[in-house]
Amino acid sequence: MPHASRIQLPPNPAEPQVMHIDLNSCFATVEQQARPLLRGRPVGITNRNTEYTCVVAASYEAKAQGVKVGMNFHDARLLAPDIVLVESDPPKYHHVYQILVDIMKSYSPNVTMKSIDEGIIDFSGTGLVNKRPLADIGYEIKARLKEEVGSWMRCNIGIAPNRFLAKTAAGLHKPDGLDIITARNLQATFSELKLTDLTGIAERNQARLNAAGIYTPLQFLDAPSDILRRRVFKSICGDDWYKRLRGWEVDDIEFGLKTVGRQFVLDEMRPSRELVISRLAYLCETTAMKLRYKGICARGVFVYVRYANGDYWYDRKMFKSSFYTNTEVLRRALLLFNNRPLEAYEREIGITCYGLEPSNINQVSLLEEVNKEAWLTEAMDTINGQFGEFTITFATSLSAKDTVKQKIPFGTTRYFELLCNRA
Amino acid sequence: MDQVNVVNKDVNIVAYYFHNKGRRLRCFPKSMEWAGRRVNFTETGMVHPTRKGQRMLHVFDMTDGNADYRLEFDAQQLSWTLVSIADISESQDAPRFAHTVTA
Repeated sequence: MPHASRIQLPPNPAEPQVMHIDLNSCFATVEQQARPLLRGRPVGITNRNTEYTCVVAASYEAKAQGVKVGMNFHDARLLAPDIVLVESDPPKYHHVYQILVDIMKSYSPNVTMKSIDEGIIDFSGTGLVNKRPLADIGYEIKARLKEEVGSWMRCNIGIAPNRFLAKTAAGLHKPDGLDIITARNLQATFSELKLTDLTGIAERNQARLNAAGIYTPLQFLDAPSDILRRRVFKSICGDDWYKRLRGWEVDDIEFGLKTVGRQFVLDEMRPSRELVISRLAYLCETTAMKLRYKGICARGVFVYVRYANGDYWYDRKMFKSSFYTNTEVLRRALLLFNNRPLEAYEREIGITCYGLEPSNINQVSLLEEVNKEAWLTEAMDTINGQFGEFTITFATSLSAKDTVKQKIPFGTTRYFELLCNRA
Repeated sequence: MDQVNVVNKDVNIVAYYFHNKGRRLRCFPKSMEWAGRRVNFTETGMVHPTRKGQRMLHVFDMTDGNADYRLEFDAQQLSWTLVSIADISESQDAPRFAHTVTA
């Protein structure tokens, strides 16, 4: 007997209105566009010019030789001896990102950028303006991208009734594909995929599904919602998967900002205390810049240290007053950081501000020294805005400026403008 | 690792400007005097703007078919800077890392 709370939904019969655009191998493709001599060659993008770096993006030519994202320099070199490793260049990627956003917004106001290299256009409600089939618009977007950025630029486009299926469609024929998934071809499309081809299903979720006797996307599609909820995912996520696979929208959610922070793997194997404090000061400075950029202040600080011997230490504290200046973030971080054990060399440090609230930058304090610090920060930001970031900075963190480089964040474009000003 | 020679020197550039469908003129740096020879550019890879404080710089990634050149045009000073030269043919063997050369 079916369970009372079992959901029964058919595949979403609506015409596809969601378009997913993905610049696959984005950074590598942009570098190949910018430097014609790299075209047709295996290219890997790294965040630093050191032998301990890893590949953060690989060109299709490199991927064909087995190079994967996250692979370290030596492994990549073994697999593809002629690979050219290029240090990432954020302003270049930002330029392409801006062009992509402008192109997407010219078709619908409902555009969501999921990360630096992928975005979603929701065409719902634009029927009166866009009378053409979405596939035609997709091919036009590809042509405009080539025209406005360069002939080497390619993108994958997926069209479907919901975001999940649109992303799945975008991954079907790389590079430069355009695929449409509807209720009519849903089963045929799933029959050609593996479970791990579905976004959100990696080894662990695959193991969960396998434990319930589900080995293929088609079996996943046919599984009842209560089995997914009670036996596989053991949460409401099971119902979400049931709807998601059938083309019903469950992923149209905006997540608010909860924390702001930075981490850094130290550039020396045996760092001195001064070096560690210098790097921490720099991280605090850039975290405070992020807070001011977003117009927020924080009340809590979390610091952590990962040691060379594998040990991990952290501390956190919620303060009564909120803060947003460079000095305050550093002072509060040091209150915690100076209590760390000193039994081994530090390998990685990080700071995170939490307890975020709207900025009180315009609130004049009764305490003169608080006002002075706020005015000083405002003046410093004005000068840095005029002459470039870090024109005025902590003397403590001076040596970190050339070492701790701001790199491209994956997954969020919240601080992109700030990052590019700094790069 | 990519072999990038950082230069950062002012250079003389001969540039052509083309109409661009009602937008600002499109610039193509045609040739450059560098290290006693003339470099004739054959293709623009990408042009993108970048900022240094309030200054707007236009970055041109150019190639002459043998090496890739990065040029910066300062829109306020109207000056050209050769930022770096990248030569992949050198990158297969040591040295693997970027180093600075002077004119």
